[in-house]
Amino acid sequence: MSVVVIGLSIGMLLFLLAVGLTLIFGMLGVINFAHGALYMLGAYFAYQIVQWTGSFWIALAVSPLIVAALSAAMEVVAIRRVYTRDHFYQVLLTFGLILVIDELVRSVWGLQAKLLSAPPGLGSSVDLFGSDVSAYRLFIIGFGVVVSLAFFFVLERSKFGMIVRGCSNDSEMASCLGIDVSRVRTWIFAIGSGMAALGGVVAGPLYPVETNMGFAVIIDCFMVVVIGGMGNIRGSLAGALLIGMIRAVGQRYMPELIGVLTYMLFIGVLLASPQGLFSRRMRQA
Amino acid sequence: MKFPAWVRWAWWPALAIALLALPTIGANERVIQFVTYILIWAIFTIAFDMAFGMAGLLSVGHALFLGFGGYATGWLTVHAGMPFILALLLACLGAALLAILFGFVALRLSGIFFALTTLALGQLAMIASDTVLAPITGGQDGFAGIPRPTLFGIDFFKAGNFLYFVVVAFMITLAVTALIRASPFGQVLIAVRTNEVRASQLGFNVKYFKIGILMASGFFAALAGGLMSSLLFFLSSSILHWSVSGDVVIMALMGGSGTLIGPVLGATAFETLKEVLGELTGRWHGILGVVFILFVILLPDGLAGLFKRIWLRLGRKRT
Repeated sequence: MSVVVIGLSIGMLLFLLAVGLTLIFGMLGVINFAHGALYMLGAYFAYQIVQWTGSFWIALAVSPLIVAALSAAMEVVAIRRVYTRDHFYQVLLTFGLILVIDELVRSVWGLQAKLLSAPPGLGSSVDLFGSDVSAYRLFIIGFGVVVSLAFFFVLERSKFGMIVRGCSNDSEMASCLGIDVSRVRTWIFAIGSGMAALGGVVAGPLYPVETNMGFAVIIDCFMVVVIGGMGNIRGSLAGALLIGMIRAVGQRYMPELIGVLTYMLFIGVLLASPQGLFSRRMRQA
Repeated sequence: MKFPAWVRWAWWPALAIALLALPTIGANERVIQFVTYILIWAIFTIAFDMAFGMAGLLSVGHALFLGFGGYATGWLTVHAGMPFILALLLACLGAALLAILFGFVALRLSGIFFALTTLALGQLAMIASDTVLAPITGGQDGFAGIPRPTLFGIDFFKAGNFLYFVVVAFMITLAVTALIRASPFGQVLIAVRTNEVRASQLGFNVKYFKIGILMASGFFAALAGGLMSSLLFFLSSSILHWSVSGDVVIMALMGGSGTLIGPVLGATAFETLKEVLGELTGRWHGILGVVFILFVILLPDGLAGLFKRIWLRLGRKRT
């Protein structure tokens, strides 16, 4: 049972990240390589806020907001300038951002890994169907479900969601209707990045907070997105849970081979079905 | 608008003479080592840009080929007792074969998704070298004792002589790239980059062409890897780190992707900047990141494009 809980919690965490990545790609056409770096930044901010205030919950609320604000600034200063160019330039630009963010984190917090403890009350384990599982992992699963539901609701049902979808479908028409498209794009980038930071805060108590964490997770995230189909949110959910489960099972039964096995699975999926497992559209960018 | 032909070709012999003269004019060992290092990175960048600049294949996992070349050369010389040059050649051929596999997997997707997949493949190589392949690669402890070439009794342990060896490899790489670029094969690749659908409608099997250029790219990347291992006498899995794949992308773009001299300029500028910044501050990677972002936004044609613009402006004033 505990393997299932671990798998689901890793999957939910990946899904939080993949949703932000997919949102930014779907609406702006930008693959944000710096997504993992923003996730890391979220975790570091959370660590700092916990140092100052002692409350994990304040960190959970504030850290994503700070990262979102910083990302909005990044969008205005840099990313906005390459929307009209080839996709490669956007990848390269966000790649440069990784270097800058990594360096900033290193100069502020140093190389030593930081530890963030689970909030009081969630640090223990609880009994679930006769096996001990970590309460914090259960919290992650619940939190992930709530956040993604809220996310879908905003995107699919609210007026803001309609504006966002309108801008992505036909930005010229949207701007004719009086919508400030470039402002909406800044918002989208900020929200997507905020999701990454949210993932970072939630992941803080599970893993050591260090500069490598961003890159390790972004590759899993890319695999989720390729397996699930970029822009396909249900596919991402399935992909995230699949990768999470494999990581959890592998960690338990063959920790030596798990890194290689995850990639092998990914390669297997690509060879069998390059469109991803859950998408019928051909993906080209 | 192009440079006149003499400008486009004159830098070859000029560079070759300058490089060959370096040890004789009494440059010290450290400078020679540094120049050798830059040249090896330039070979790697040229190899990378074969795929990116010619065919538009952005690989973010090219460290895989560099690492393969290094480890294969090291293993064949140290454990199989082969002469260095034979080992190096076999390593390059092996990398070309590996590139078929690499292409077979990554080319299932196109465009940006190709890039994401190559990133995953590069990471797979890094993780595999630390775990499953550790008996061969030495894992994180690394692999020591890779020799220098043996040829005509020349002492390649001397920095100056090894520089000559690398210059020859570098010139061969440049020449082959120029040939590929001018050949019908290269022209088709450029067509593929410009408009893939149209190229395939003309009857070219786009996938074979892409795999072909990936093979050439892998071959020369492995050449750089083998030379790197020989220069440093040592290899560790850090050669497979994603930041190596990232650095080569930065070099190609800074220099000017899709040109012959661009990768050379880029590798030189990058390594020099890194050396200078590294002496001033430990934060060189971050500053380099800022420089790179500025290049992407302001100078997408890189240094080669900048020089071309300056040249054309000067030319206009003169006439």
